[in-house]
Amino acid sequence: MQCVLLGAVTELRATTHTIEFPYTRTLGPVIGSFFTGLRDRRILGIRAGDRVLVPPLEYDPETGDALKPDFVEVGPAGTVTSWSWVTKPTRKHPLDRPFGFALIRLDGADTAMVHAVDAGSIDRMQTGMRVTPRWRDERKGRIDDIECFVPEGGAA
Amino acid sequence: MATAHEPCAIVGFGQTKHKKRRDDLSLPGLVREAAERALDDAGMTWSDIEAVVIGKAPDPFEGVMMPELSLADALAAVGKPMMRVHTAGSVGGSTSIVASSLIMGRRHQRVLTVAYEKQSEGNAQWGLAGGRSGGMGAGGIFAPWMRSYIRGSGAPEHIGWKVAVKDRLNAVKNPYAHLQLPDITIEKVKESPMLWEPIHFLESCPSSDGAAAMVLTDEEGGRAASKPPAWVLGTAMRSELGSFPGRDTVRPQAGVECAEMLYKEVGITNPREQIDVAELYVPFSWYEPMWLEGHDIAGPGEGWKMVDSGETEITGSFPVNPSGGVLSSNPIGASGMLRFGEAAQQVRGQAGEHQVPGAKVALAQAYGGAAQYFAMWVVSSELQPSLS
Repeated sequence: MQCVLLGAVTELRATTHTIEFPYTRTLGPVIGSFFTGLRDRRILGIRAGDRVLVPPLEYDPETGDALKPDFVEVGPAGTVTSWSWVTKPTRKHPLDRPFGFALIRLDGADTAMVHAVDAGSIDRMQTGMRVTPRWRDERKGRIDDIECFVPEGGAA
Repeated sequence: MATAHEPCAIVGFGQTKHKKRRDDLSLPGLVREAAERALDDAGMTWSDIEAVVIGKAPDPFEGVMMPELSLADALAAVGKPMMRVHTAGSVGGSTSIVASSLIMGRRHQRVLTVAYEKQSEGNAQWGLAGGRSGGMGAGGIFAPWMRSYIRGSGAPEHIGWKVAVKDRLNAVKNPYAHLQLPDITIEKVKESPMLWEPIHFLESCPSSDGAAAMVLTDEEGGRAASKPPAWVLGTAMRSELGSFPGRDTVRPQAGVECAEMLYKEVGITNPREQIDVAELYVPFSWYEPMWLEGHDIAGPGEGWKMVDSGETEITGSFPVNPSGGVLSSNPIGASGMLRFGEAAQQVRGQAGEHQVPGAKVALAQAYGGAAQYFAMWVVSSELQPSLS
């Protein structure tokens, strides 16, 4: 029997493997209330000591104590506390035109939450600007029930 | 036993009610439920805890990547050391061992350890059945190895059915167990659909949402505990590749050596006589006799005979899985810690209706991956028991 030694032949350098799997996220009583509120065009925070946290948390981030279901309606308008501009949105971004990602402290809240701001132009974005939500007509109890925020007093 | 290290005591244990879907709780809420029960059992509050060690199986189960980053508030770990352990299905065991090492090394005096899985978030049995990506899943991997055991040992096929019935009837005595099948019979197991030959549906574990937690302390904490503590007499972990030429998949070398090291550390020379009760990781019925042999509790080909003669029943000479085991509740990441915690409950005399009377020395074991990770510990009601 003849033995033939073969050298490495690496024409194929990679193969593909697609993992596809759907997930469900159980919301629990606190985020569940927040999302239910969004469906009804209401934005809820939760009291933690003398602060109002938005979005609400189940446990006090400092002490770990379970927070009582003491919800407070905030906003809907708020103030931008910081921001970043997206010049070329990809298909996965919330808007198909240049927009801002902003930290928005809603009126009555002590914390800021992130969302998109449809300001039209970077020139209209500034820390301290006032924004208000643009709600979707059909709401499902998700964070994007708020399509985005728009500058108060008129969208771009 | 060598006592160069600090003795470690388990002074609190807690678990959730395990269910197919805990949709009443968020993931942090699930973890919290077990942790609060462990603290209550220990008579402690969150501020008594110095460090937190969490464990869970692969992140794709829930699709929450690196969950340790977002559980610090639910586990009151802000400002404390917190870490996550991962060794696939054995993780609940290895997490317990890592927590105990923080005590034994005198780094901390009171440690909370928690393990969990919320499998319903993955909508299917990703780990067990492979999901849509077409993997074999655990059942597909283990089935031929169980077949090898059956062929090699000459075990009759009813052994698997018998384990399935025993563990489910034990689970009826455990209010936290997921499956409650008081009417199960050998006939029903045998007639249930074949999932992965030779494993029938009723010989397989369920997919559960659940969590387990323990509070561990140093010797001083153990002696001051309000309820009897369980003392950790020894721990061991071993691993090997899941696949290599010549691998003994029925009796993996890592499992043999893990048990060997553990027995040596504890001073066990005859496990079958010196251990009063065992909680072994048995997700498929045949793994009970396989681990009895794989960890040298029974000789080669003798494991199935222990099952057949009823020795592994609660009333038998070597009870295995009085809690109902993985066959009755399988929140995968927590399953190992449930074994480790249930073993502790037995020697604390706190196991309730599934208590093995007078249990003083208990063995817990968990395995993971392709039977390639092993974690084991022995706990006792006494710090220095006479192992007769």
